[in-house]
Amino acid sequence: MIRKVSGAKQIAAIIKKDIIAELRTKEMVVSMFLFVLLVMVAFKYAFGDSESFSDYAGGLLWIAFLFTALLGLNRSFVHEKDEGCLEGLLLAPVDRPNIFFGKMAGNFMFISIVEIITVPIYMILFKLSIEGSIALFISAIVLSNIGISTVGTLLSTVSINTKMRDMLLPLIFLPVILPVLAAAVVSTGGIMAGVAGEKLANVFSAMKLLIAYDILFLLVAYALYDFVIGE
Amino acid sequence: MTKATELLEKEKNEKDPARIPEVEVNNLTKTFGKRKVLDKISFELEKGGFLSLFGPNGAGKTTLIKIITTLIAPTSGEIRVSGMNPMKNSAAIRAKVGLISHSPLLYLDLNAEENLRFYGAMYSVHNLDERIDELLDQVELGHRRYDLVRTYSKGMTQRLAIARALLHKPSILFLDEPHSGLDPHAVDIFENLLDSIRAEHTFIMITHNIERGLALCSKAMILYNGQIVFYQDKEELDIDMFKSIYQQRVKGDS
Repeated sequence: MIRKVSGAKQIAAIIKKDIIAELRTKEMVVSMFLFVLLVMVAFKYAFGDSESFSDYAGGLLWIAFLFTALLGLNRSFVHEKDEGCLEGLLLAPVDRPNIFFGKMAGNFMFISIVEIITVPIYMILFKLSIEGSIALFISAIVLSNIGISTVGTLLSTVSINTKMRDMLLPLIFLPVILPVLAAAVVSTGGIMAGVAGEKLANVFSAMKLLIAYDILFLLVAYALYDFVIGE
Repeated sequence: MTKATELLEKEKNEKDPARIPEVEVNNLTKTFGKRKVLDKISFELEKGGFLSLFGPNGAGKTTLIKIITTLIAPTSGEIRVSGMNPMKNSAAIRAKVGLISHSPLLYLDLNAEENLRFYGAMYSVHNLDERIDELLDQVELGHRRYDLVRTYSKGMTQRLAIARALLHKPSILFLDEPHSGLDPHAVDIFENLLDSIRAEHTFIMITHNIERGLALCSKAMILYNGQIVFYQDKEELDIDMFKSIYQQRVKGDS
């Protein structure tokens, strides 16, 4: 009855299950979307049509995205905790890193969907444009999202079994994600402003940092997830 | 020599060297911080056996099941499941065990078929479509297969949980208070299912229902404060002694 268990199929099944549940409840994407929209409207009132806004555009965008992602990450294991499903998952012959990659991919997707919708709104709202390469801009966002969803999934697994999980995740997530925040701001801000020369080199350095950070934390998660999700 | 130790000695002497017990636990201890939840537990369960596990809340029953099913690691002691060490063969053991507990372990925002399909992928179940049809018919939920689990009654949810637990045809079934919250119809379906699979499975059942537990079991055990205070074969079961210990330890604590 039992065949050799396919890790790829298990990861795909976890992603599919999360997508179906999200399509039914819409609780993660909708709450993230409303939150980021609210933050952008608040920025609009705070900064108005300030001409120097483009200098801060990258930073403000990522502050909004980071807290939005945090909101979603806090919800990402809720379905798993409902009715003991996490125990059901752990009881199956699933390699623990496969659970991580499935959950991380789902989080990456939901965060990216919200960003795909809200980046154009941000641009229109603040009359911004991407002066540099759009492909580079998308790459910087994708790399930042990988970092956020990798660290976020790992740390939300840590916090899920604690009583103060809603409070604990921001406390442990924000300090660890600071390098991603800094690199995301430098890279996307620079690309939006269409920088050249030495400043463009800074953009590439920031993107290299994002790649290194993503690889490091994917390896950390792969190595530690068995321990993190266990007892 | 205690009754439990006598039984273990007897089992060891009578054991066919070729026969490996389905579950073998030796001097199992589990501590959480300074609290000792299980204290040098030892027992064996033969293939096809049915162990009914009684004890008050906090006796360590669920912890024992979690350790045997590889969900948590023991502090010390040795466990073998089908001759395999959970620390070294956890995936192989997990493929052989199923759990029916008072929590259904089902996703409320998925329907019955989606839940079974998800767990089928986790266990790589062969001929999954046929297996899902067969199980949903057995638990009489075929007509509700596309309804969200959230809309099910407690009894229906538990029946689906039974289908989930049997999906990968486990050889060892762990039942953690399986009758809890079931309506009489669900109890009938559950017991009929249990009868139909009884021969080819080994069972360990946690229950507070003495009549059901003793009727089903081949061995009965009472855990109290992490220790075995009663452990006997059903054929040799001293019912007065069982009831006396149960009244004294379990009822006394509740």
